[in-house]
Amino acid sequence: MILRLLAVDFLKIRRKGLWLLTFIGPIGVVALQMVNYGVRKDYLFSLTDDHWQQYIGNVSAFTPLAIILGIVILTSFMASIEDETNAWKQLIALPVSKREVYLSKFTMISCLLFVSSIILLLMTYFYGLTLGLGEDIPYLQIIQYSLLPFFASLPVLGLQLWLATVCTNQAIPTTVGVISVIFAYSAMYLPDWVIWKWPSLDNQWDQPYLNGLMGIAMGLAIYLIGMTDFKRRDVK
Amino acid sequence: MLSIMRSEWYKLRKSWVIWLLFIPPLIGLFLGQISMGDIGEANQWIIKLVMANATYALLFLPLITGVVAGFICRYEHQEGGWKQLLALPVTRGKVYLTKYILVLFLVLTMQLLYLGSMLILGAIQGITDPFPWEIVWRSILGGWVATSPLVALQLWMSMIFKNFAAPFSINVIFTLPSLLVINSERFGPYYPWGQPFLMMNIGGEGDNFFFIPWEQLLMVVGGSFIVFFFGGYLYFQRKAV
Repeated sequence: MILRLLAVDFLKIRRKGLWLLTFIGPIGVVALQMVNYGVRKDYLFSLTDDHWQQYIGNVSAFTPLAIILGIVILTSFMASIEDETNAWKQLIALPVSKREVYLSKFTMISCLLFVSSIILLLMTYFYGLTLGLGEDIPYLQIIQYSLLPFFASLPVLGLQLWLATVCTNQAIPTTVGVISVIFAYSAMYLPDWVIWKWPSLDNQWDQPYLNGLMGIAMGLAIYLIGMTDFKRRDVK
Repeated sequence: MLSIMRSEWYKLRKSWVIWLLFIPPLIGLFLGQISMGDIGEANQWIIKLVMANATYALLFLPLITGVVAGFICRYEHQEGGWKQLLALPVTRGKVYLTKYILVLFLVLTMQLLYLGSMLILGAIQGITDPFPWEIVWRSILGGWVATSPLVALQLWMSMIFKNFAAPFSINVIFTLPSLLVINSERFGPYYPWGQPFLMMNIGGEGDNFFFIPWEQLLMVVGGSFIVFFFGGYLYFQRKAV
């Protein structure tokens, strides 16, 4: 059942621009570095000897911001598609449980975000190769800094999905998203328990995996709370 | 014109937008709280303002003005509101201008509340240095002037798309690169989305009234304003409702 719901959800977002945004996000993040290295490669190279490290650092400065704004946009976009045509009512009237509807939405957005993380991984790797950053390619780090932010931002996804589905006024989840991105940008000043800090993979123990694990656990918890609330609410 | 203004105000007055106005001062408190450090400046206020203004003007201000512009078009996008509004004896040009002025007014209010939050923060933290009113006014007004083209583009996009997320994503796509672009002395001055930062950057050039040269203000801010404002204006004249 859930697979069929998911298929319907993917059908609904066809030609609406969500896939386009999924691609623009990671391509944009690496494209910014293309400009950065295109303009001042010599200067950047003169700063340090570990060019790969520096390159990954430059890319991952933008990853948390892009992924959080991506979550805000995708969840709100998805909810707007349902709102615009009053489709929530029709969807709920089908012989499916509201839990499954919510799960399907969550899974769909997660899939889009995961795809964009994979694209980020490939783009980071291949553009890095063309720069001549050195023979020692830190594969593990490239994978970490491309994929872990996805897991670390699952709590934000849980929160934004809940807001986007329960608010008829999409300005509310969007505003929360703008505040979130300010937190993500100020990540280094925030204590470790703040969920918006997690996509930066920074913590006091220097263990990026920890942010991914915390993200999965907390994301699951927020998802369950959101789903329970969605189930109890009247459909608009 | 005044009556359109009043009717727009009625639509907004009891809406959620009033709460939206309190977000900038809260962000101001947060940013002021986390900014400290030594930047070779004796006055504590200046240290706070340089650092808080940076994040505020780089990311927050361009993004939130997009939300406000989207909000202003929300009632019209629902249940055929454009039809109702334009069936009234009003010209489209005046409706467009009213909405634009209203967004500018809300953004100015946000700027002033942000300034207020800085004063409150300083009082809490017990900063005794003299408050640099003169440069602060210039940056608050400068930030406002610099967002005026961005507001015009967001209003234009919000009129095109019924979906709230679509104009917001355009806003994000243009705003995020400014984090990088403003570092460039060659390209920074020409990027419209970087101007709020440059005009609120109180450490910047200090010879003019604003923190950027007049030519840059006229060419980049003025030029992009003309393109975005009249683009939106012409679009709205032809928009099928």
